[in-house]
Amino acid sequence: MSAPASTAPPALAHIVARGVCVDFTVAGRVNRVLHDVNLAVAKGGFVSLIGPSGCGKSTLLNVLAGLLVPTAGDVSVGGVAPIEAVRQRRIGVVFQEATLLPWKNALDNAALLMEVAHAGRTRDEIRERALEMLRLVGLEHAADKRPAQLSGGMRQRVSIARALALDPEVLMMDEPFGALDAITREEMGDFLLEIWERTKKTIVLVTHSIDEAAFLSGEVIVMAKNPARIIEVTPIALPYPRNEQSYSAPEFAHATARLRRLLKEGHRQAVAA
Amino acid sequence: MTVTVDDNRVPLRNAVEAGARPAGERRAALAALLPAFGLFMGIIALWEAVSRIFKLPEFVLPAPTSILEVLVSRQRELGFAAYVTATEVVLGFLISALVGATVALVIARFTAFGRALYPLVVLFQNVPKVALAPLFILWFGFDLAPKVLLIVVIAFFPVAINMLVGLQTVDANLIALMRSVGASRNEILRRIQLPNSLPYLMAGLKVAVTLAVIGAIVGEFAGAQAGLGYMIQFASTQMQTSLVFAALVEVSVLGMLFYYVIEWIERRYINWMPAAN
Repeated sequence: MSAPASTAPPALAHIVARGVCVDFTVAGRVNRVLHDVNLAVAKGGFVSLIGPSGCGKSTLLNVLAGLLVPTAGDVSVGGVAPIEAVRQRRIGVVFQEATLLPWKNALDNAALLMEVAHAGRTRDEIRERALEMLRLVGLEHAADKRPAQLSGGMRQRVSIARALALDPEVLMMDEPFGALDAITREEMGDFLLEIWERTKKTIVLVTHSIDEAAFLSGEVIVMAKNPARIIEVTPIALPYPRNEQSYSAPEFAHATARLRRLLKEGHRQAVAA
Repeated sequence: MTVTVDDNRVPLRNAVEAGARPAGERRAALAALLPAFGLFMGIIALWEAVSRIFKLPEFVLPAPTSILEVLVSRQRELGFAAYVTATEVVLGFLISALVGATVALVIARFTAFGRALYPLVVLFQNVPKVALAPLFILWFGFDLAPKVLLIVVIAFFPVAINMLVGLQTVDANLIALMRSVGASRNEILRRIQLPNSLPYLMAGLKVAVTLAVIGAIVGEFAGAQAGLGYMIQFASTQMQTSLVFAALVEVSVLGMLFYYVIEWIERRYINWMPAAN
């Protein structure tokens, strides 16, 4: 087994995966969707998973988020197994679709998971906390609006507020901006960096956008398929805080060029194989 | 005839529009009804003209004016018959809604039992219900009970099937999210699945209420002492075709009334689905 692929020293690693394999059995045939994945994410780090469709990046995120139990290998989030970390409300998840309840307004949607988990909070405390989360994502004014009255970007912000409400240490995001238009998408990127800098969460983001990965993350984990694996962990040498100017910085150009090359190589190997 | 339809329609439209809509929209909604109303009046006028020009015998096809005359002259009889039928429809419909919703909830909540129950429900749906009417008369007599029972066996199915779809079409990620914070099955059912199913339930109820009217009429055909269906059958044996049509008018108005009451409830309380215009 190879050492965890990361620039983060193991002592500071918040999320660690060792030898993770995932097999799906479809109609009696075993299909390996993840093979011997090793990674480490530093506490407070912002890491993106990038790769072609079908490379298993969403599967890997589901394993890290405790939504899927791997066939083999060890995963720990903050020193415990993901399922336990989920039980301790240390993991917040955001999906590609906002998955809000259409009959509830933004405030009640942000409060949903707290109401179920309640964890000793009173109704008023839950309400207050949900409002605080909406304030954090800049939607305080839309607290009484239903999802149908909100734009796609706003809906995704509510879903981020819902994930942050239980104050997780880690935010796992599966292509959260994939369904948004280009301009909204960049706005959401800026917004996510702002949230990250303010809350100091560890963020793992699945994306298929090279620019998004390079602009947001400290490290980009590049994946390839056939077999699904990590081919490189690319550090992004672009200093934080990042803004409009970051896109024209030489480090950004360098990072995106490298990512693009890696993805192409991975693709060529897959085709050759 | 047209007068009666109007009398029933005016308060009905108001009820529908009461779902908190601005006056401009209300006027637009009324304007949208104009083509349908115009076409309806045109057909009535044509009907009147045909029956006058060709001097059709009244027992074959009565003119709209003579139907209207019967509607007015025999309004007490018709009113009582409508009351009897309406009672059957309302009772039968309410029980259908209850049975249908219960079947859906049981199938959705108790998966293993649901797997056993669902095929039986489908099997039962394929029994021709009309054929059960004589049996119900045999078992329960000529009063309210057999009609209500017939309505229930006809009308519970769309309620159950629609609501079941609503209970089951919930985003898997949302369920995973709820589970991740320790939500129980009951909690997921109550907070997510049940509210999610309500628009589907309303669609099922709209189908059910029209079936309930049919069920009541069929039940009365099979054996009754009162009601609009009984009146239709009785009048046709007596060659009182105008009375048959008058009763038909009342049945249709009754059906529309129930339908729009449900639609009003839907607009008023279950309004998060994008409007199906």
